[in-house]
Amino acid sequence: MTIKVLGPGCINCKTLERRTLEALEHLNLQAEVQKVEDLDGIVSYGVMRTPGLVIDEKVVWQGGVPTTAKIQELILAHETRASQP
Amino acid sequence: MKEWTKFSVLAGAFLLFYFAPMDAPIVISSLSAGMTLLQEYARLHVLTCLVPAFFIAGTIAVYVKKDAVINLLGPATRKSIAYPVASVSGGILAVCSCTILPLFTGIYKRGAGIGPAVAFLFTGPAINVTAILLTGSVLGWDFAVSRLLAATTISIVAGLIMSVVFRDHDGNKGGNGFATGMAGDVPYSNFTVLSFLFLQLAVLIIFSLTIPSFLKAFLVILSVLAIVAIVFLKFQREHTVEWLEQTWDLTKKIVPYLFVGVFMAGIIEVVIPQEFVTALVGENSLPANAVASTFGAFMYFATLTEVPIVQKFMALGMERGPAMTLFLTGNALSLPSMLVLFNVMGKKQAGVYILLIMSLSVVAGWLFGELVP
Repeated sequence: MTIKVLGPGCINCKTLERRTLEALEHLNLQAEVQKVEDLDGIVSYGVMRTPGLVIDEKVVWQGGVPTTAKIQELILAHETRASQP
Repeated sequence: MKEWTKFSVLAGAFLLFYFAPMDAPIVISSLSAGMTLLQEYARLHVLTCLVPAFFIAGTIAVYVKKDAVINLLGPATRKSIAYPVASVSGGILAVCSCTILPLFTGIYKRGAGIGPAVAFLFTGPAINVTAILLTGSVLGWDFAVSRLLAATTISIVAGLIMSVVFRDHDGNKGGNGFATGMAGDVPYSNFTVLSFLFLQLAVLIIFSLTIPSFLKAFLVILSVLAIVAIVFLKFQREHTVEWLEQTWDLTKKIVPYLFVGVFMAGIIEVVIPQEFVTALVGENSLPANAVASTFGAFMYFATLTEVPIVQKFMALGMERGPAMTLFLTGNALSLPSMLVLFNVMGKKQAGVYILLIMSLSVVAGWLFGELVP
């Protein structure tokens, strides 16, 4: 699983990155967490309101900093979708 | 590198305090002028304007449905809708300055194109809600409303001109519109959200009215009760918490800079000779407005600090026209933001944009000076 944190590098994006790492730790899951800071990269996902969260190339969140619990929920929801045939 | 910056700042402060002639009259009067202006802001503007304004900005950040607005800036929207929406959306979408560039790039490359993108880029910083409200509280509501109108008009004109000049560069560069509907939008009716917003605005406006104080107190208490009622009866707890968090977050981000700015504005009044200001911007002429425009374009003002600084320049004899011009370019452009623009838009487009904003601001400021005495 690859998780990307989209944002030009403001405080909200850093918070989102930190919480994502926390969420993974809570769930005891391994994932590669990348930061996408260049504008073209952010826009190529159609994300208009930063920060945004992308799991395996799918935008799952944008426009605010979700709580760690919410991020866990998003990751789990993605896992369930991915495990279905 | 960063540690070195910190070290040089500390060393600079040390040298300043070591050598500064603290008993020289100019130092004493500067410090006391800074303190006096801080007291003026603390007494006149903090409770009656800034506190309600931060709550309003928090409301916009949490409760206003931004996806709906952003969709109006998409590739399929008619220009006659995209331009007006872009010209006011700065005040709704760009509560934090770091959201402006991604939105601009998105509108430009995947959405309604360069014109609306430019309109948004200009109004994003220029019609910040708190800035407009503080302008009204400090300099008068004619100033605040004109600032709002001028910024909106300039953004549309600049957007239209840019889209004509750079017709060939325009066009949707592929992609399938925006990703929306993910987060943030709250499940309340427009009516509830608008009443909530309006009631908070009402508190701020009632404070600024010249009516008997018992009536003022009565009306303020009434509005606050209505706000509390909406919070408890209509809104879910998690959104209320988010609203308070956003408000507090904005306060933390803005207030320290504002207070430093107010202090420095107080010092300006003592240090800068009055003749100098009157000679440069003491009348509402085109050269005077051009000076104000250039100064505003290169100077960096942290959010809201432009208000005390313009206030003190006006106390030194700056005319109303150049003051308006300074407001218009002051927020929208600065040396750092110009460098970013060159990177994002390319040299030619950024150059045309900067010149356009500077000259349109001169015209708008001059008109304001002539028409609104």
